[in-house]
Amino acid sequence: MTWTVARKEIVSNLLSYKFAIVLLLMVLLVATSLFIMHRDFSQRVADYQVIRPEPGAPIAVVTPNPLSIFAKGLENAMTRSFEIGVTGVEVRAGQTSGNIVYAFFPAPDFLYVVRVVLSLVALLFGFDQISREREQGTLKLLLGGPISRAQVLAGKWIGNFLSLAVPFLLVTLLGATLLLFDPNVRLTPDRIGRLGLILFLSLLYLALFLSLGMLVSALTRRAATSVIVLLFVWALLVFVLPNLGTLAARRFVRVPSVRALSEKREQTWTREVLLGIGKGGDWAEHMRTISRENDRMEEDYRLKFDRLVRLSRTINRLSPAASLLDAATEIAGTGIGEESRLKADVVRYKNSIIDPLIADQAAGKRDARYQAFVDRPRPLAEIFAAGALVDLAWLAILNILVFGLAYAGFVRYDVR
Amino acid sequence: MWRTLVAKEMRAHLVSFRFLASFVILFVVVAVTAAVLTADYVAKLDEYSARQAEIDRYLRSYAHFNRIQNVLQPAQPPVPFQSLVRGLTADVNMEAFDDDPLPVMFPLIDLTFIVTILMSLVALILTYDAVSGEKEEGTLKLMLANSLPRSKIVLAKVAGAGLTLVGPLVVSLAAGMLVVLLHPRVDWTGADWGALALILVGAIIYTGVFSLIGILVSSVHRSSASSIMTSLFVWTLLVLVVPNLSPYVASFLAPAPSRIKVAREMARLTDVDRDDLGRKLMAEYKGQVLKDYPVLAERLTEAEVKSRVAEDPEYRKAFEANRAAVERAWAEANRIQNDKAEALNQDLNRKEAAQTELARRLSMISPLANMSYLATDLSSTGTRNQEHFGQLARLWGQAFYRDYRTRKVEALRAKDPTADAWNTAIDMSDAPRFRYTEEGLAGRVRAALPPFAVLLGFGIVLFAAAYVAFIRYDVR
Repeated sequence: MTWTVARKEIVSNLLSYKFAIVLLLMVLLVATSLFIMHRDFSQRVADYQVIRPEPGAPIAVVTPNPLSIFAKGLENAMTRSFEIGVTGVEVRAGQTSGNIVYAFFPAPDFLYVVRVVLSLVALLFGFDQISREREQGTLKLLLGGPISRAQVLAGKWIGNFLSLAVPFLLVTLLGATLLLFDPNVRLTPDRIGRLGLILFLSLLYLALFLSLGMLVSALTRRAATSVIVLLFVWALLVFVLPNLGTLAARRFVRVPSVRALSEKREQTWTREVLLGIGKGGDWAEHMRTISRENDRMEEDYRLKFDRLVRLSRTINRLSPAASLLDAATEIAGTGIGEESRLKADVVRYKNSIIDPLIADQAAGKRDARYQAFVDRPRPLAEIFAAGALVDLAWLAILNILVFGLAYAGFVRYDVR
Repeated sequence: MWRTLVAKEMRAHLVSFRFLASFVILFVVVAVTAAVLTADYVAKLDEYSARQAEIDRYLRSYAHFNRIQNVLQPAQPPVPFQSLVRGLTADVNMEAFDDDPLPVMFPLIDLTFIVTILMSLVALILTYDAVSGEKEEGTLKLMLANSLPRSKIVLAKVAGAGLTLVGPLVVSLAAGMLVVLLHPRVDWTGADWGALALILVGAIIYTGVFSLIGILVSSVHRSSASSIMTSLFVWTLLVLVVPNLSPYVASFLAPAPSRIKVAREMARLTDVDRDDLGRKLMAEYKGQVLKDYPVLAERLTEAEVKSRVAEDPEYRKAFEANRAAVERAWAEANRIQNDKAEALNQDLNRKEAAQTELARRLSMISPLANMSYLATDLSSTGTRNQEHFGQLARLWGQAFYRDYRTRKVEALRAKDPTADAWNTAIDMSDAPRFRYTEEGLAGRVRAALPPFAVLLGFGIVLFAAAYVAFIRYDVR
């Protein structure tokens, strides 16, 4: 019986104007986004070929991550070249562009399409499920048959979810398959697994917005009312909450500004160089002082910044969009946690070679060789332990909760 | 009649649930955003003065001219408008190891966001069934049975929606401003009020554009249910997609070389290639000198050369000609290679400028981008301010490096001619410090005019389209 309702929903969706528009939007956006972000990735690969360090050079550069096509996250920050010098880590080549328009609008990657646009689409699938059928009078007829309200709701949910998820998966998988033709996009089994997880998270997220649409539809008498409520709820969840949340977290955890840190670094460096020249002291000793002071500052900043990230994540979980963003970027390996990990690794790499580096420079040795930097992205288990599992579970719980509420609302719904 | 029609439209909106919901949401979001942003602005002020104090301390004890440019850099202080509009002021610092990735992941909410996303949604929600809804209720037929031209009805619908939307916007903004101004540390000046008024005008035009989109869409659809779908589809494309795609599409249509590649290429041109060319030219020029002065062919040690230069005037002339040839060769090599590098750099700059311009134009298809540009430029948080800041920084650079540094170095050398003027600590607490002043309102308005004009143009075109669509509407 549930399946009959689901089939009826799918058929009526297939014939509807709404479905045509949604399908057009989905194909257009997913395809354009994958195409454009793939081009962006290819540029990063080309740049990597230029800045790839010579063997023995004390430089840490990581290879561009193909999953950044789907979730760009902080990929631009992670593919910079970190060069180790006597005074510590210096960022030399970062992929920057003189095109300021990039700074105005967020990157339209796959994750953005899912998080912002497709969530709206999912709401549109759910918003009139109950109120519209009441207005048309078909709800009475439907419930007049030998079927329970739970079955009707489940059938509607399954039918609409399939109408949404099947085209979505088809378009995405087609796009991902086309990407495989590029030899630079090395999708190892691990990465395919991660991509699968991101798709699963996306489906969970879209399912949540579908249920939310049905919930509001079951609480309102008219479809016109339910769409208004939903649009505002959507704007709050997707835009307002996560972005105000990070700013609110800054009120509780005071983190020194990054400009202050950079300025302090320059001050320490120039001061020590001046003292080194003026007093004729041990040059290497001054360099070590710089390194030590920068390390202390860096460590202090990292501690505070990690606290800030943890707090803003907790606040932001109010919004499923932020949960999705955090979890998906971490799984893709372009998230805030992964960037922190990379930086910590770079600092550790610096610590392991800084003493010989200073000694070599002091002795005027120019062609010294150092061990290479090895990039070790965190394995999935670690990413899950660091918070992605909580996000995943939270999305699942929200799904159950909202669907349960929709059921409660529907059971009490006056179908007249 | 006209007033009756507008009054009817407004009354219908004012008592509706959607109006109430919109009003409440707008009011709360504006007030909360203003409160959060103001607190953040004040924190930024403190942080800025703490940084300046650090620099002052440094200048008293460790300042020296060799590396002062690393420490004494012009910095942009927070402007009061940041408690409403954030624009490009996010402190990301991607150039340095200490960066802050949070603003990259979660862009800030500000007044621009509230207008561009929330107000456009509100406008569509209010107007998506302006025509199709009345048709469904049957009131459209009744209305047209009176001696009313259709043009008046569509005009009344636009005016009614527009006037209804101005109310919540102004009231919410007033509440937000109250939050901002009640903070004792925000100095809101006359120019700020002017800029705010213009931003408000822009916001009203922007909202009007989306009301017109709603009316247009509703007068090409028979049912409100499909009208809202089309409205949201158009909204999604214009607000969520076009601006974000524009820089990427522009980079595709007007490619610019990668900065990393150009930097490497320039380094190669002025380093390895220059040495090669210099050696080649040197051999060439020396060969010519050798023809004129065959004495140079003799192989001598450095000491022998020295003694012969001292004794033999003829040899001395030859030696000097040789040295001049070497210098000429290297100067020539430097000039040629620097010109090549400069050409490369200029090519990069030209292409990037062309790409930026294209991206900007493409994004201006979207009313959202126009609104963002005009709001950020008017509030000194956009590209216009970056240029203005650059200009101020150059002026300060002249005052510091050309005037102040020359004076100080001369004073130091007057006292002790052998002093190393570059690496001696000098108390620079009397140095001219960079002072940021906001650009006058006139310049900012000039920058904001093109997006204003485009928005108005959208409004006019959409109105014409809505009018035509309504004339042809089948009211049955």
